Amino acid sequence: MTVVPTAHYLILAAALFCMGMLGVLVRRNALVVFMCIELMLNAANLTFLAFARERGDVVGHLGPFFIIAVAAAEAAVGLAIVIAVFRNRGTVNIEEIQSMKH
Amino acid sequence: MLNTPTVTMFDLHVVLPAAALVFGAIVLMLSEVFLSSPNRTYMAVIALVTSGIAGVVALNNAFEPARLVLQGFAVIDPFSSFMTVMVCLGTGLASLLAAGFLKHRNAERGEFYALMLFAAAGMSLLAASNEFITLFINLEVLSVATYALTAFLRRGPRPAEAGFKYFILGAFAGALLLYGAALLYGATGTTRLSDLATLLPGAMATRGGLVYAGFGLVLAGFAFKVAAVPFHMWTPDVYEGAPTPVTALMSVGVKAAAIVAMVRTFLALVNGLDPQVPFILFSLLALLTMVGGNLLAMPQRNVKRMLAYSSIAHAGYLLLGVTALFVPDAARSSDAGGVLSATPLLANAAVNASVYKGILFYLLGYTVTSIGAFGTLAAIERREDETRSNTWDLERLAGLAQRQPGWAAAMAAFMLSLAGVPPMVGFLGKLYIFSAAVDAGLIWLAVVGVLSSVAGTYYYLRVVVYMFMRPAAADAPATFRHWTTEVALVVSAVATVALGIVPGPIAEWLSRAGMVFGG
Repeated sequence: MTVVPTAHYLILAAALFCMGMLGVLVRRNALVVFMCIELMLNAANLTFLAFARERGDVVGHLGPFFIIAVAAAEAAVGLAIVIAVFRNRGTVNIEEIQSMKH
Repeated sequence: MLNTPTVTMFDLHVVLPAAALVFGAIVLMLSEVFLSSPNRTYMAVIALVTSGIAGVVALNNAFEPARLVLQGFAVIDPFSSFMTVMVCLGTGLASLLAAGFLKHRNAERGEFYALMLFAAAGMSLLAASNEFITLFINLEVLSVATYALTAFLRRGPRPAEAGFKYFILGAFAGALLLYGAALLYGATGTTRLSDLATLLPGAMATRGGLVYAGFGLVLAGFAFKVAAVPFHMWTPDVYEGAPTPVTALMSVGVKAAAIVAMVRTFLALVNGLDPQVPFILFSLLALLTMVGGNLLAMPQRNVKRMLAYSSIAHAGYLLLGVTALFVPDAARSSDAGGVLSATPLLANAAVNASVYKGILFYLLGYTVTSIGAFGTLAAIERREDETRSNTWDLERLAGLAQRQPGWAAAMAAFMLSLAGVPPMVGFLGKLYIFSAAVDAGLIWLAVVGVLSSVAGTYYYLRVVVYMFMRPAAADAPATFRHWTTEVALVVSAVATVALGIVPGPIAEWLSRAGMVFGG
């Protein structure tokens, strides 16, 4: 059986991270931006796991569990805030959520 | 065989302040369910007592020698313990401010104080974290609690918007930091900062690219959290939109915890790197943040927004202190050929000790001053104004000296302290930081810092001029007074003046050796 080399995982993770980062910077829908942030966190998870597998290290495997738990807590609060914004404005478009002057 | 880690009672000292805070938060949440008294000021008192207990426990920890605890996942040293004391002070004062503020808005709830205490627990543990996953979890504990606090008055348009922006950018910063940590783990095989410090020089030879990418991402993540220019865009909107007591807590606690964690992280991460790289990056961040914060604050007529920009400028002065830790030792790096020099950058222990003292004293002074300044704003703002755009306009402060002479005097003390005018505590904080920077050889950067701080005096004094020299508007509304607000303002005003006049014991204690583990 052929083993997938670590580099492939890392390239996939880097691609996911860049997609997430670009998405946060260019997308206008709050929910899509939020999903892009999740993509970035998962890229970090995949990187941790790929390196942990390469080294056979347990601590590296444990990290992502904590990260997933933290991401879930963050999603709960984040979605609640998105709902509060939607009730106030009737929109989740980031460009329309600009009431404070710069 | 199961390999159980050995944890002694001695190791647990580091989590005791956070445990006290979490316990208080749970009591508050239960009291919200089981005691339905209409007067809820007692909740602020519970929060105050809890942060007082946690502060005393942390102060006791501050006298213990610096060491690694919990298998190297955390550190107990005077630096982090003193930070926890300041966080507890800030949380206690902010919860007193919140009591009057929330009562006026009929929004007093146990969850509010519980979230404040959870955020404080996160800050306390963040300052002691010595491992990337632990650091990330604590950063998120404090951030998630602060997102919820920012959007707490969710019916108003501004808090929800502020919470939303804070959440998006905070989560983005967290993801950058985490990906950077993953890359550093890949380069070295460890996430513990003290092991990273020893393994990075070796990893530089084989996986230098990963180390630099990881370093840059971690730095960007921290720069967002401390609101350094050019990563500051979220700060004015979030500080303006959040309920004012929450803004007070954010400006002191979140920033202080992030700076302390940043110092601890980068003391480990600079090992093995070309010493010029961290030095140039930190100098640039400090320069942009000091100058940018002050320039952006100048045209603001909205006092709350002005204070938000001023908090950016203050982060810049703190970053100047952090830069002083990473000044390359010119002689040393030239003999080793510079690039892959494994010699530690931090040769000059005396300079570092004065930098730590500067950072901690500055944070202490900023804690009492900033809580007081935002507290005065919280005291004069009125619920009816929440949806208008001129809620915090300078005009609202006009004639405050006739209407509320005590508050005007306190606000004047806070403004002078922020501007760095003696004998206020802000002056001494700046003096310690700038003199540490000069000792480290950062003369030009310190000159820029002093000049930008002089320029900043303009917008602080403008507030004083409005309070004392402009007549009150004829329709100026009566102010809403609450005893807890008055107590918080008196305590912060007295501390602002007293610490400026008699800094002696605290400043002396802060300058002793062994403040930072491994520093």
